[in-house]
Amino acid sequence: MSDRAAIEHAKQEPRAEDDLHRPVIGFALAGAVLAVLVIGVVDLPRAAAALPFIARHAMEIALPKWGQNEVVSEIVYGSRGWDTFGETFLLLAAVVSVVTLTRSPEPRTEYVGESMAGRQEQQEVDPKGDGSGGEQQEARQAEENEEDDASDLAPNSDNVPLGTPGPERAAGMSVVVRVGARIAAVPIAVAACYLWLWGYTPGGGFPAGAAIMGVAIVMYTAFGHRAVRPAVRPAIVEPIELLGAMAIIAIGLFGLLFKDSMFANYLTLAVPGTIRAGGTNQLYSGSEFIEVATGLTIAIFSLLGMKHDWAPDEDGDDSEEDGSGSSEDRSSDGDGSGDAS
Amino acid sequence: MIVANYVAAGILFCIGLLTVLTRRNLIKIVLGLSLMEASTYLLMVSMAYRRHSTAPVLTSPPDGKSFADLVHGDVADPVLQNFCLTAIVIGVAVTAVFLSAAVRVAQHYRSVDADDMTALTG
Amino acid sequence: MSAAATLLPLAVVIPIGGAVISPLIARLHRTLPLIVGMIAMTGSVLVLIPPAGQVYSGSGHVVVHFFSAEHPVHGKLLGIAFAADPFGMMFALLAAGLGGLLLLSLLSEFGGLGEREIGGLACLVQLLLAALIGAALTADTVNLFVWFEVAALASYGLAGFFLERPIALEAAFKILVLTSIAGFAVFVGAGLLYSKQGALSFAQLHNSLLGGDSRVDLVALALLIAGFGTKAGIAPFHGWLPDAHTPVPGGISALFSGLMVDLGIVAIARLTLQVYGAGSGHAMLGLVTGLGITSALLGAIMALAQDDLKRLLAWDTVSQMGLLLTGFGSGTEEGVGGAAFQLVSHGLFKALLFLCAGSVVHSTGLTKLSEIGGLARRRPVVTAAFTVGALSISGVPGFSGYASLSLIHAGLEDQPVIHALALIAQVITVAALARATWLGFYRRREEEYEQLERTPIGMRVALFVVGAACIVFGIFPSEFVDRVVGPAASILLDPSGYSHAVLAGSGTVPVSTLVFDYGKASDLITTAIEIAIGLLVAVIYLRIREPRPVTWLRRLHTGSVNDYAAYLAGGIALAAGILLGG
Repeated sequence: MSDRAAIEHAKQEPRAEDDLHRPVIGFALAGAVLAVLVIGVVDLPRAAAALPFIARHAMEIALPKWGQNEVVSEIVYGSRGWDTFGETFLLLAAVVSVVTLTRSPEPRTEYVGESMAGRQEQQEVDPKGDGSGGEQQEARQAEENEEDDASDLAPNSDNVPLGTPGPERAAGMSVVVRVGARIAAVPIAVAACYLWLWGYTPGGGFPAGAAIMGVAIVMYTAFGHRAVRPAVRPAIVEPIELLGAMAIIAIGLFGLLFKDSMFANYLTLAVPGTIRAGGTNQLYSGSEFIEVATGLTIAIFSLLGMKHDWAPDEDGDDSEEDGSGSSEDRSSDGDGSGDAS
Repeated sequence: MIVANYVAAGILFCIGLLTVLTRRNLIKIVLGLSLMEASTYLLMVSMAYRRHSTAPVLTSPPDGKSFADLVHGDVADPVLQNFCLTAIVIGVAVTAVFLSAAVRVAQHYRSVDADDMTALTG
Repeated sequence: MSAAATLLPLAVVIPIGGAVISPLIARLHRTLPLIVGMIAMTGSVLVLIPPAGQVYSGSGHVVVHFFSAEHPVHGKLLGIAFAADPFGMMFALLAAGLGGLLLLSLLSEFGGLGEREIGGLACLVQLLLAALIGAALTADTVNLFVWFEVAALASYGLAGFFLERPIALEAAFKILVLTSIAGFAVFVGAGLLYSKQGALSFAQLHNSLLGGDSRVDLVALALLIAGFGTKAGIAPFHGWLPDAHTPVPGGISALFSGLMVDLGIVAIARLTLQVYGAGSGHAMLGLVTGLGITSALLGAIMALAQDDLKRLLAWDTVSQMGLLLTGFGSGTEEGVGGAAFQLVSHGLFKALLFLCAGSVVHSTGLTKLSEIGGLARRRPVVTAAFTVGALSISGVPGFSGYASLSLIHAGLEDQPVIHALALIAQVITVAALARATWLGFYRRREEEYEQLERTPIGMRVALFVVGAACIVFGIFPSEFVDRVVGPAASILLDPSGYSHAVLAGSGTVPVSTLVFDYGKASDLITTAIEIAIGLLVAVIYLRIREPRPVTWLRRLHTGSVNDYAAYLAGGIALAAGILLGG
């Protein structure tokens, strides 16, 4: 079947016949997989089982070899630091994938056959091109209303009286939310930094990074994009993320250089329970903190700033997925691509 | 090592799997996958638990015990906890990519129904 | 540890370093990612050469690097070990070398993209290659899982790269769903194995599994095979593969088919042969062979029926992966050695074919076989390269497929039914590729193309080098078999030797008795007959309408992600059922 016929067929085919066979088969298969899993897990050792040798070994070497109190951290950043290395770059791959998927079109200097094929396929998938389904129309209308209202109101919604519909359509939220966010942000940020630096020394770079990113999200939600834009511009945050990644590579490579084994510890061990305990683990945790915080920030804000610009409506109208000024933010990064919008 | 937890994790996994198999809304499929992922965390953490165990942390031994006693005492398994941490990070990363892909698909196909997303067949 | 062992992690770290700086330097100038990428991949190959020299000296050695200075204690290992054995080193070298060429081809073909796009593309490709090298060298279940996930995430970004094609996004969503489920399966499998056996390292696992397989071990194995089988594109876990290859550029499809699916195959080979051990039970090898031969037949038949060139090649990948699994599942030295050799050959010729197909799409904007044609006259270089690839797949003597296919068929000799089915799959494969070559390239086309861009220099270099490699491996296979393939098969079939070597820090591989006789008459005759019948089938298929069974098979692949996930779930249940019952 040709593509066009297949797509038309798929869209117009009545779905009634699917309504029975898929749930039945779905239940049967899910039941089969459940049976497999249950057969597997009931055979596992029970609650009184001894700890595996390697777990006991990890506990035994935690203090003498890595100078550290907390065994899980010692495993994450120390004994199995290579896994964490892989995971860091997994997060990097995810961030780059998200940025790639949510990017805006850039000017290209060459003919790219895929574009032409793409235009043809877009035509086939959505022949009318104006999204003239009922839901699409409403969504589009709602977006436009949001934009109009956002541009009318000042970013600070205090000049709209309480109880009117004004605050819901403002770029920021009501005064209650904003004050609450300001108050909450500080302890969260401090707790995150504490978690990173102290934890059980070393602490956890991963949860601390996620918590810091949570602060950024809370501020974004309460104050709108303009307030957080200076802190989350990709031009600033991306290089910091890449610096964090390079620091992690360096930490591992020095181990290779000094001790013939990647991620081996080469720093003198401090007293356990102090801030310098754990040898290289503290450095590793710190670099992870930078990497995770910046990476997740880039991913989330790219996702929020995604525009509807690769499959535009026929009248060439670009509308934004996210109401406040993120389009200005995208083009004002000034990466020299000459993108004017 | 709690069998009830294991079975619960298995059931949750299969509920998530059922969602992926039967629901056509793309966002619901993403939610089903998140549920499957969460059930694997439950499974891992349950496998790490031992009866009467404490956390594998070597600070402040209770009276009369030394560090050596802690090291050889009853603790939950730290290696599985490491494995679980790794998977949590993976889960976050994959969900972010999922959502961007879902939004892009919706923009192109003007629909979030998986049955409309069948231009590639055969 | 020896100096060579110290270099092993660098093979992964150098491409990762290249990936990390690519987005930044792309902003400076758009040709910089290409230069940095080339330096990184060349560096990776160079760093692998000293360990490779040690690994392939004599009858073969295993070179081990212990991370974080964690060494085995009483035969148990907490830390991670990189164990470069002849099999893993072969794939690592292939990934680094071929990957570098593909990166060259991609970045030069798409030199006209915007800066952010180029930076992102270079970053994702290098992360994927680093993950493949890591997965080839690792000897630890959790580490293998981590590299599997890195490769998966890079592939998600690469699959959806061209945002203007709606089918690219569709493909990205499908590969996301299926590979995520696969990731969960691997995760649970590895966790169950650890819980029961207390081991994360392959070596330690093998030793503790010697005491017999309990039900947990078998369920874990089923989940692991399902998860890695999804990555490898084995039926019934293959739903994402044809869809993921159709909308992506040629270089990326070449990466997916030539290298990334091999991650799954390498993982399954290691787990079944080196961890569980070929002697542990016939159900395991039977399952692997069964899955393999089903994929081989299904892929070949579906390839014959396709109209889209890249989709046809993708279905052929399903078939070839099935053939590889059949070879590994045979448990004989010829079968395993042939499969290892075919891994390399397939990487080369599939990359070549996809580069050509991608070049066709990129220059003309057309994707369907019925619409293109007459390229023999207009694009001789691309046509010649495609022909070399097609001849390699068909197993024509003088090209790289001949030796590997003959070895696999020799290894299947004591399983006549499987052997016969493999031969049938080969015949249909020949037919499919012959049909594609004719329709796409040699058939006359009267009207001119609307758009016909020139092939860029970087791509021509890549086509030439890969094509030359296919021919070189075809003309001189015996040396390769003696030095590389033989030791690889030998170590795969000697799991206790492998585990002993990893725990001791180094080890030797038992002497391999694998020989390949180029002039063996039975091989030549079989190949000639296969090709003749294949061409006949192609000619017949060009005239007739699509047969009913083929239409039914095509209708099974509805394109719905729910259905493909259902096939995956069914596959898990089936694999577990066979293992538990056997």
